[in-house]
Amino acid sequence: MQQLNPSEISEIIKKRIEQLDVSSKARNEGTIVSVSDGIVLIHGLAEVMYGEMIAFPNGIYGMALNLERDSVGVVVLGDYEGLAEGQTARCTSRILEVPVGSELLGRVVDGLGNTIDGKGSIKTTLTDAVEKVAPGVIERQSVDQPVQIGLKAIDAMVPIGRGQRELIIGDRQTGKSAIAIDAIINQKGTGIKCIYVAIGQKQSTVANVVRMLEEHGAMEHTIVVNAGAADSAAMQFLAPYAGCTMGEYFRDQGEDALIIYDDLTKQAWAYRQISLLLRRPPGREAYPGDIFYLHSRLLERASRVNSDYVEKFTDGEVKGQTGSLTALPVIETQAGDVSAFVPTNVISITDGQIFLETDLFNSGIRPAINAGLSVSRVGGAAQTKIIKKLGGGVRLALAQYRELAAFAQFASDLDDATRAQLEHGQRVTELMKQKQYSPMSVAQMAVSLYAANEGYLDDVELNKVGDFEAALLSYMGSEHSTLMDQINQSGAYSDEIAAQLKVGTEQFKATQSW
Amino acid sequence: MAESITIARPYTKAAFEIALEQDDLSGWSAMLSLASAIVSDQQMQFVLDNPAIGTRKQAQILINAHTENQPLSTQAENFVYLLAENKRLSLLTEISRLYEVMKANREKSVDISITSAFDLNHKQQANLTRALSARLSCNVNITSMTDSSLLGGVIVRSDDWVIDGSVRGKLSKLAEAITA
Repeated sequence: MQQLNPSEISEIIKKRIEQLDVSSKARNEGTIVSVSDGIVLIHGLAEVMYGEMIAFPNGIYGMALNLERDSVGVVVLGDYEGLAEGQTARCTSRILEVPVGSELLGRVVDGLGNTIDGKGSIKTTLTDAVEKVAPGVIERQSVDQPVQIGLKAIDAMVPIGRGQRELIIGDRQTGKSAIAIDAIINQKGTGIKCIYVAIGQKQSTVANVVRMLEEHGAMEHTIVVNAGAADSAAMQFLAPYAGCTMGEYFRDQGEDALIIYDDLTKQAWAYRQISLLLRRPPGREAYPGDIFYLHSRLLERASRVNSDYVEKFTDGEVKGQTGSLTALPVIETQAGDVSAFVPTNVISITDGQIFLETDLFNSGIRPAINAGLSVSRVGGAAQTKIIKKLGGGVRLALAQYRELAAFAQFASDLDDATRAQLEHGQRVTELMKQKQYSPMSVAQMAVSLYAANEGYLDDVELNKVGDFEAALLSYMGSEHSTLMDQINQSGAYSDEIAAQLKVGTEQFKATQSW
Repeated sequence: MAESITIARPYTKAAFEIALEQDDLSGWSAMLSLASAIVSDQQMQFVLDNPAIGTRKQAQILINAHTENQPLSTQAENFVYLLAENKRLSLLTEISRLYEVMKANREKSVDISITSAFDLNHKQQANLTRALSARLSCNVNITSMTDSSLLGGVIVRSDDWVIDGSVRGKLSKLAEAITA
């Protein structure tokens, strides 16, 4: 027996028939001249706009990307096997749009906003253009609030602010996505909405990510936009812009959002494929001339906007609130080569980078962040006061340690000062290790950093540092919960808090074992 | 198709400008349409595709075929020789079509094809002509044809500009709206 669709209820059909506009309007038509690898060449369509949606027979759509004198190059969104030479294509007078709104949270969608998680359709009322111009200077506000990633190494050394663009760069298998997923998990309960854009990834990998987010209760505040490895290059090219539009909705409503593009290397590959098929001239590494603009116009849309902008955008409904969209683009390097074309481009566009290294990863330092090459150009202004105060020494300790470690390999006799510095560096390196899916609160980080700063780790054996930290955090959480709550809420640092931390840590060392 | 138009455009423009100078738009129009008909002939295709026949010879064959029906002016002959020299004789169909578009633009007229489900009577045709010339603010030359699969209504088409007022079009819109 045939199944009845939910949309086949007579009331719905009646409503749709009533709303149907059957008036005949003049439209522009063209004929398909050639179809090849998802690129369709059309003769006609004299009035087509750049980026306009083009309708083909059988409900297939495309996007006009090449407007030439006698032909229009259109990239087909989705399946192009049904298209043939001689078929008609018509203009729709619409620029590509995707659904936006908080209804999308908790769902997995494709680059056009269609659900692909099998949980039924999404009842959004709003749509917005995929390609938009970023807010201008007048509408912006400087970055001064933190996004807590929940990883000690990042929040202490490369702090990220709301509205910042921080690149995560590294070779394959260095934990780039892991940082991104931890960042999403840590936004639970903070009000920051997350968008995870998966580009050119295996479906199994994306399914795993979604499962992990669900397990950690992070899917409720997250939208996953997926353009998998099996999807067309056009979809992989579009997905980041679609995700950005969904994130901008929250920014413009005076909320905070975090978007992760995982990864932009694959988007650049997809765009290179489209450009070459459209016969645009290839440049360096066969990328087209506008590959820089591809990423710069996307990342420029991540921003912090002021309350005037939000008020104007919401027609006065939201007053006195700023909005932000923080971007964490991911770039995969080949054999650590950051001077390749796309990595240098994206490094220069973003406000800093988190550089991950295979050697560190393999030697057990995870997250495998290279403290020397990782920077945050604007996050310092947004860092939580207590982390800023306590974490300031970490970067210095690690830098001195690196310098000495190379030197100490040759020297058998070291003076006490050098040895102390080396040992402190080793312990800080050990302390910066953190397991996946276990983000830490500000107070927990503060306790760990305080212990390292004040030398409480110096008499702890190197291989016991992890256990010491875990025991200390559990002790502080149970015995000094008011202090921990106070730090988590205010994030401030004072002599009083320092004294309480001192008391707590000393009590722990005197009474507990690890 | 798209590329051949691009190549044909400068030739058409040159021919059109000569025709304007000589004040002989319709003469060139007749010559080009006849030449394009000859070029599309199967035997002529064979001549054009044959590498053993030189370009000058090809041009002469075309000119001879043309003069049998209609004499050619010197400029028109030179035009054919030039096309042959550049191996563009096969473009004559495109050139003729583009020439007609330019001529129509110049004369402020537009060719419109009307497809209807049933034959249109004179009154209906006149009404359509009046409405279309008012809308496009130029003279319209209507060619009409019938297609019973439209069920009712008409489709008005001029180049890539289309007004679909057919019952079939409305039904397919309805189908789209219901299944969307």
